Amino acid sequence: MATDKSSMQLITNGILNENPIFRLVLSMCPAVGISTTVMNGFMLGIAVLFVQVFSSLTIAIFKNVIHPRIRIPTYTLTIATWVTVIDMVLAAYLPEAYAKMGIFIKLIVAFAIITMRLEMFASKETVSASFFDGIGMGLGFMAGMMAIGFVRELLGLGSLLGYDLLGFKPMLFFVLPLAGFFCVGLMMGFFNYIETRYKSAKRAQA
Amino acid sequence: MKDILTIIFRLTVSCLLAGIVMGATFVFTNKAKLHNAEVNEQKVMLGLLGYSAGKSAPASLKLHPVYRYLVNSGAASSIGYLVPTSGASEAGYAFVNIDLDGKFLGQQPVRLEATKASEANERDKAVTSALGSGKECRYVDQTIVVSDNGARKAYLLPGEFPGFKTFVKVILAVDPTFTVSGLEIMENEEDPGLGGEIVQQYFKNQFRGKTYEALKKLGVVKEPLPEEYRRVLENDKNGGSIGAEEVAKVEATYADKNIYALTGATISSRAVTNGVKGIVNKFAYRVGILDRVLKEQQIVVPF
Repeated sequence: MATDKSSMQLITNGILNENPIFRLVLSMCPAVGISTTVMNGFMLGIAVLFVQVFSSLTIAIFKNVIHPRIRIPTYTLTIATWVTVIDMVLAAYLPEAYAKMGIFIKLIVAFAIITMRLEMFASKETVSASFFDGIGMGLGFMAGMMAIGFVRELLGLGSLLGYDLLGFKPMLFFVLPLAGFFCVGLMMGFFNYIETRYKSAKRAQA
Repeated sequence: MKDILTIIFRLTVSCLLAGIVMGATFVFTNKAKLHNAEVNEQKVMLGLLGYSAGKSAPASLKLHPVYRYLVNSGAASSIGYLVPTSGASEAGYAFVNIDLDGKFLGQQPVRLEATKASEANERDKAVTSALGSGKECRYVDQTIVVSDNGARKAYLLPGEFPGFKTFVKVILAVDPTFTVSGLEIMENEEDPGLGGEIVQQYFKNQFRGKTYEALKKLGVVKEPLPEEYRRVLENDKNGGSIGAEEVAKVEATYADKNIYALTGATISSRAVTNGVKGIVNKFAYRVGILDRVLKEQQIVVPF
């Protein structure tokens, strides 16, 4: 089974139609826990993009030699390897970002989105298609995290990217973990609403 | 049966491959990581002493680390300090053994180069071989004595204490009379926006200028931070717009006051306050004993 989508379609598919956070509703733990600021979302997005692309590539290359009975352990092993690699690279070359993100980077091993993409896509498709799918999914995850981070940082801390915009903190509880739940929920509803409106407008035109 | 064998074989091969990839990355990055950590710590320490990029430290300023060890010989335990020595002895370091009541037990010269002393493995090996058999030693912590032209200028005390969630790691700078001259939070995992605010200048700089006596009865008050005090505390962040004279004046007014708690993070504020008190208190006690022993035994140190 090979996909008939072009590379560009695969990338936009990950960002819009199958956005990991808002459409597939996978990897909710980081979406709720870490998306307190735009910068956090961006940093974790970079890390996930790296891990997703390299894991997809590895699995797509070796898909014929992976025994079907142990495919999930193999996926986990692959992801864990790449997570360890980026963990060490970040710790060595970007110590300031690592100080903030370190504990969450290690958690990427357990992100549902990566395992799911390996199982659903990379283990069936060609190497290049898996590469672009990995990029799309990583970018989609990053975009989702940054969108949530935007809302939570603006409302919770009154700042964006660390710059104080409002000069006061409108609703401090938005940076606490519990606010992540309804923030993600409300945004998911909002995006779904826009999509339904967009589709019904399109149908009315046709 | 054949299936199981293939599975075992393939899993082993994948694990080996993964191990090779991770090992290679470790080899490539570890040096840079250690170097970064060291540079960062050095920068923070000089910053606490008042030297930054714009104002570099004079050449006469020296940092002498003193390492504290716990020595176990049989059931009895005692404290050992690895201090740098100067003058006649060639060894470079001396290991001074003091029992828990502050009585001098003995000293051994330790042959160690200054560059190797900062590496935990090399240092532990040198200390163990100097102590001889039958005694076990365990590294506890270090203190950095800062001297300028041989005169003691300050102490830098790395330490950690429990915060609201996990341990908070700090470096504290105190002058020879144990008045706090600076506090830097190195690591913490307090709630962002609440307890995480302990890293902000308007909180951590409140400890500046607290004397040893004031620290003993220092507490935390839940009152708003006065505006003039906040401006002085955040002076560095705002580019030093307030003159040194006014800073000294305002800080003097608040020197005996308690610490103003962070809004919504009284527990974190209290934890830091108690942690700082504990570090200074214990250190003052220990350095008193160490100084007395060094003087009695006529061990010549460069500070």
